[in-house]
Amino acid sequence: MESREVAFEFIWILIILAVIAGFSASMAYYGFARGLNPACTVYTEEELEAKGIKLEPGVKEVGPGIYEVTIEARQFVWIPREIVLKDPVRVTFRVYTPDVVHGLHIVGTSVNVMVIPGYVAEFVWEPPRGMKGETIFICHEYCGIGHQLMWGKIVIERSGVMLDGGLSGGVLGGGGVR
Amino acid sequence: MSGAGGVYTVKEDWYARITVVVAFIALLLGGVFGVLQVISRTPYWPNLYEMLARIGLGASADELYYRGLTAHGVLLAIVLTTFYIVGISAYLTPRVLGINIRPVFLNVSLAMMVVGLVIAAIAIVLGWANVLYTFYLPLVGHPFFYLGAALLILGSWVFAAGAFLAFLEWRKANPGVGIPLVFFGILTAFIVWIMATTPLVFIVLKNHIPASLLGWSTDALESRLFFWWFGHALVYFWLVPAITLWYYYVPKALGVPLFSETMAKVAFALFILASTPVGLHHQFADPGVNPYYKYIQTFLTLVVASPSMLTAFNIIATMERGGRARGGEGLLGWIFKQPWRDPVYLGLVLAFVTFGNGGITGIINASYQLNNVVHNTTWVVGHFHTTVGTAVALTFMVYTFILLRELYGRELILRGLAPAVPLLWFIGMMIFSLAYYAAGLEGAPRRTSDPTYGGFMPAEWALPLQIGAIGGLIFAVGGLIFLVQFFGSLAGGARIPLAQPATLLLNPHPPGRATILDRISLLIVAAIILNVLAYSGALIEIYSRGLQPVPPLLP
Repeated sequence: MESREVAFEFIWILIILAVIAGFSASMAYYGFARGLNPACTVYTEEELEAKGIKLEPGVKEVGPGIYEVTIEARQFVWIPREIVLKDPVRVTFRVYTPDVVHGLHIVGTSVNVMVIPGYVAEFVWEPPRGMKGETIFICHEYCGIGHQLMWGKIVIERSGVMLDGGLSGGVLGGGGVR
Repeated sequence: MSGAGGVYTVKEDWYARITVVVAFIALLLGGVFGVLQVISRTPYWPNLYEMLARIGLGASADELYYRGLTAHGVLLAIVLTTFYIVGISAYLTPRVLGINIRPVFLNVSLAMMVVGLVIAAIAIVLGWANVLYTFYLPLVGHPFFYLGAALLILGSWVFAAGAFLAFLEWRKANPGVGIPLVFFGILTAFIVWIMATTPLVFIVLKNHIPASLLGWSTDALESRLFFWWFGHALVYFWLVPAITLWYYYVPKALGVPLFSETMAKVAFALFILASTPVGLHHQFADPGVNPYYKYIQTFLTLVVASPSMLTAFNIIATMERGGRARGGEGLLGWIFKQPWRDPVYLGLVLAFVTFGNGGITGIINASYQLNNVVHNTTWVVGHFHTTVGTAVALTFMVYTFILLRELYGRELILRGLAPAVPLLWFIGMMIFSLAYYAAGLEGAPRRTSDPTYGGFMPAEWALPLQIGAIGGLIFAVGGLIFLVQFFGSLAGGARIPLAQPATLLLNPHPPGRATILDRISLLIVAAIILNVLAYSGALIEIYSRGLQPVPPLLP
């Protein structure tokens, strides 16, 4: 092999190392310095009960724009099937299932989490301020023959003048949702 | 080398002929289910499963869809790949090492794999195991499904044992000689396979079979952890043999040596090291596992992307070297001097190019935060159809044009159509994958019999899913042409006498002296240590918290 070829080989290896170092550093920075982790806080149902939190499906507004939403996933339905949020600022979700593995994805957002029996997924979502209207949330992990029936609606209502993105009238980036 | 330029390969060839035929029967059946589902799941297209349900198959359209999806995944991702890989490895091993695999291993392996396949197939076809190819507990299928799959896997272990023994014999006879590159690839594939399937066999015995047979309660998160410990390493078991064929055939067709054999061996060594401790990147969205453990495996996933990047460089550099040797000039002139008329070469290069598409999306999938945007959307479907569905499957298909001559002793029929196979597959797959990426970015889910959600489906989903389905039909036509050629040649191709003893394949060039890379046991020990380090945190976390068993349920 010519020395020029060997040089190319080493340059390429340096590029690979730079890619690995750059990517893993940026993910670590956003994950651990900025708190942007894909994972969610998790409790077993017992741990949650010990903290005095009862799992009851429903939407609770605990402060202005501060919501606690508890969702139960069952073969093949979400409880509740419709979630209405008025001027939401911060939404704490607790999602659990008594039966099999499900997945929750609010279409058009980055809310995307597995629902595993025995474990409660807790995570906080701050909806984009321009987001309003209707979108669907779906089960994205095969849970049985009726999996495709498992969807629900999230309605975000806004009062007053929208400061940003309010003109689009849709959800996230103006994508219209029927 | 022993064998004085030749080796009798009658038994290995018998084994390879049967397993490769089984692989392509799986391609045929799995492909039929693929076509049915891509049409049925496309918005505003006819639901073919609805029609099948109406003619009285005794099941609803949705159940038939998921039954077909289970069959599609198992047939193509497990049966096609495993049978083809043991077959091509049986064909290559004696030809590369000059040493036979002991017949008892071949007999036992074939019997176990075929019996396992039949048992699992019964469960799937009769709808007793509509659990899809990932079979997450507590959804549970018939015990036949798990027993069949376990037998199939253990049968491939028996083959691997035979190949390892042949290797040890070769090493004894050739002290200080470097492992021939092609066999280094085979060895890598089976080391990865055994490290991958060990956690799977463990969890199937611990959780799946007791749940299915005795109704025991099991922990779903624990099952997923072990499944994905297997599930991602599995992809390198598919990929490494395809890469091995690229390393073997590309320089051979060009008439030049591989750009760097050392670089190729480094790539294989990295596959052995980092293929298995990466499964948590399939569980970013799972509750119950600490983000730090997920991050460690994210980093290791980037590490295991590096051998693919090394391979990309090595293959392209070899192509440039060959193109220049054939008179290509200037910066890009070498591209036009490639043996494009050779359908095998064309197919391997297109498979390789598609692997670039799949590799990049793979890095995106594994990128910790970004995964949230694409997790369980059609994006992922696009990704694995470019990787296992093209980089691997297309490589296996076009290389079979050579096997027809040299293994089956048959002339290829409809020769002129051969280039259409890789071209249609490549074009169709590019359309399919890009469209499914687009739909996935809009949130369209995978694994559903009906993505329209009662009309509430976002309007953005329809068009990319329809375009993707057209791409799917295009590559299905390529696959159909291949299957007609393969089975047609077996039935009616002109016979070519097969010479025995078979010639040894000294390619890319005779092996040099052994280096540290040839010390396989060192690599295995390092890989096991890496696995323990990468998985101990998550395992301790799950077990110390206490398992959360739930009873099994039917889909």
